[in-house]
Amino acid sequence: MSTNSTTENVQNWWQEQREQRTRQDWIIDLGPFVMLFGLVALFTALSENFLTYGNLINNVAVNSSLLLLVALAGTFPILQQSIDLSVAALVNLMGVLTVILVAQFGFLAIPLVLAGGMLAGFANGYVFAKFKVPSFLVTLGTMSVMTGIALIMTGGSSINFRNDAIRSIATGELIPGLPNLVFWSVVIYLGTVFIAFRTKFGRYCYALGENERVVELSGAKVDRYKIYPFVLSGLLCAIGGFLLAARLSSASPDAGTDLLLPSIAAIVMGGTALTGGVGGPHRTILGVLVIAVLQNGMNLTAVDPFVQEIILGVVVVVAVALSIDRRKIDVVK
Amino acid sequence: MSEYSVDTKKTDLTRNDSKPTGEASLRVEGVSKSFRHVDALTDVSLELNRGEVVGLVGENGAGKSTLLNILTGVLQSDAGKIYRDGTAVEFNGPQEAASYGVSLVHQEQDVITYFRGYENLFLGRERESIGILKKGEMSKRAQAFVDDLGIHIDVDKFVKNYSFNERQMLEIAKAFHVSSKAENPIILLDEPTAGLEEDGRELLFNLVNDLREEATFVFVSHELDEVLEITDRIYVLKDGEMVDEYVTTDATTDKLQRSMVGRETSTEYYRVPEQRHESTLGDSVLEVNDIQAEEELGPISFSVQRGEIFGIVGVEGSGKERLGRVLAGATPATDGTLTVNGTNVKPKSPTEMVDTGVGYIPKDRKSEGLLLYQSVLKNTSLAMVRTMHGRLPFLDTDAESSVTEEMIEDLNIKTPGPNALVHGLSGGNQQKVVIARWLAHETPILVMDNVTRGIDVGAKEEVYRLCRELTDNGISIVLIGDELPEVIGLSNRIAVMEDGSFAGEPIDASPDAKPTEEKLIELMV
Repeated sequence: MSTNSTTENVQNWWQEQREQRTRQDWIIDLGPFVMLFGLVALFTALSENFLTYGNLINNVAVNSSLLLLVALAGTFPILQQSIDLSVAALVNLMGVLTVILVAQFGFLAIPLVLAGGMLAGFANGYVFAKFKVPSFLVTLGTMSVMTGIALIMTGGSSINFRNDAIRSIATGELIPGLPNLVFWSVVIYLGTVFIAFRTKFGRYCYALGENERVVELSGAKVDRYKIYPFVLSGLLCAIGGFLLAARLSSASPDAGTDLLLPSIAAIVMGGTALTGGVGGPHRTILGVLVIAVLQNGMNLTAVDPFVQEIILGVVVVVAVALSIDRRKIDVVK
Repeated sequence: MSEYSVDTKKTDLTRNDSKPTGEASLRVEGVSKSFRHVDALTDVSLELNRGEVVGLVGENGAGKSTLLNILTGVLQSDAGKIYRDGTAVEFNGPQEAASYGVSLVHQEQDVITYFRGYENLFLGRERESIGILKKGEMSKRAQAFVDDLGIHIDVDKFVKNYSFNERQMLEIAKAFHVSSKAENPIILLDEPTAGLEEDGRELLFNLVNDLREEATFVFVSHELDEVLEITDRIYVLKDGEMVDEYVTTDATTDKLQRSMVGRETSTEYYRVPEQRHESTLGDSVLEVNDIQAEEELGPISFSVQRGEIFGIVGVEGSGKERLGRVLAGATPATDGTLTVNGTNVKPKSPTEMVDTGVGYIPKDRKSEGLLLYQSVLKNTSLAMVRTMHGRLPFLDTDAESSVTEEMIEDLNIKTPGPNALVHGLSGGNQQKVVIARWLAHETPILVMDNVTRGIDVGAKEEVYRLCRELTDNGISIVLIGDELPEVIGLSNRIAVMEDGSFAGEPIDASPDAKPTEEKLIELMV
């Protein structure tokens, strides 16, 4: 009896899904999974070293943890239909700041760096929300400003520090066998998922991405909730910058610059549309893994690094073209 | 209507009758159109003869715009045929309609102000050779074209330097130009006198009279006097059906109004017996004290009692929609205050108004009322989210689901489930979700702007019943509406708006003393 009704429930659910969902919905939801498993299968077949714990953790996971942080940072502004282009520049600046502050204050540098990141994010958000400047332009400008400040602080070259306790925050293993870098990024990933689904801020991010007017008329303080995503973005970038500097015991003004485009690609591939309102941080990790696996697999199979660039670019465009939610788009510019 | 204009018409008519055309210039036969669940047009037929000026009147929502859109190829009819000079034609787009000489002069002036006059005239049909615009030639041809029409504008000036009248003239020239390839073009004028000053109106009418021989005009307007003055025949649309046809000389404002309104006010439909009697209404919950917004609105004062439905009517542009937005905090008030349940506020933002207990249900639920691609649950809880756990940032997801389930049950929202997207619901159920949002937030005062716009008859009845239930539970409603029977049927009192303020004191509309539509229309215009 109970099995009968369970089967019935499942059948009903399936029926409902088939009726309500378009092919586009299925591609958006399942596309990243299919792609990830496809790549894993491909590289497992091509290289015997790929599917080993050592490779997956020490190469794929460690190398993608910073990308994950930056992509998570970028997810919230995109969810509310804006964009933060200053993420990579902020990672650089916060890395440089970490090196300088650790030399002076030791552990006290950590809260200072995090506060610095939030302040920078707040500045982005404030100009965007209060002065109604498109976030694209605001963050393009601050990207340049931050890069300039980092260059001045370092004189253009790389700087380093010596503090093993700080360094071990990134390189140690709190859980044996799991590098701290991976541990922290997983913790932060779970945190952002919680924020997206269980806080008012998360809810308003989705709602603002869908229709700001509706949110405003519902009584929400819209400006405030338009600033928060940038503050969160700043915080996550500061964490990223700190971990990057701690891992290498040094920082240079261009260490993280290459993260910007892959991070946006990862966000969109994961299913967060640039038109806002759909997707979320829980999905961004899929895009990050696709990129990480692709890069790692191409390294293992000895694809020419220059050719790698081309393949990565093509994969990103194809993935985005397949997954973009066209229901809401009239004109693409 | 002056004697003079009647005379010209008669001569025109006789002259046209002498032409051996035989066939109507444009004939529409049995056109129907429905949107999702709503029938916008049902079996509409009409004939436009050469050299005629034909009026088209009807209440808001009667189907005038839909008909114009079908005639210009913007919409495709579900059934029916269109004949141009006796041959069946199909318009699959405005371009195609224009190629048969049918074009529309928009209600909103549809010109690019940073272009010159001739550039607007040739927009989309520019003269060029090897990709370079022939500006001189276009300018010369454009000037000749408007001169031929008898329109006095300088086509080399930027349109932003034109007067309002000149822009309207340019619009008409454009319509002629678009359809100039066809012989005897058909020009549809959608509320062409809206916003025109007296001299502009005269100019327009003279122009139409002068051009009678070269074109057929369809004149759509709310201003019945104007329709009577300029047209030869008048069609009346009501609820998507062509209910009457008049030869203008036989028509009067009264006759037209009666045809437009038509139906009997059905007390059952609006559940009038359930209306709360004045004596059972509670204290005053909303007091509006000399509210003003810029120059355009106010000062307006009124008060609404607990459990009362306060209706507000007025023609388009009378400021009733704006008043609604001011009450919602969406348009800031420049002067005056509101007292909600004893708290004094100056409405500056929706946040303040929602906090004091006023919820707004906008006219356009798709662009302002709903997160279309999000779930029923997220839409229902959108207002209550803000106060969850006080100032803490966390959501109370249990409360959300239980309240949403309750609302789906109470308001009879037909949805596959709380997680289904609002996009897939019918208009009536979508509107119930918007109402549910405010009920979930326990909002005592609702400002509704055309709450039954675009929903079918069955859903309307449900909304009416819902309004009665809400007022029974002590909720007060400010009902802004274009559909007079609806506002009359539902309201306890009705205020008529004109030019941004109330025309006189609110009218009593208790069950045994409902005003007639004619009376309201009289006050509106």
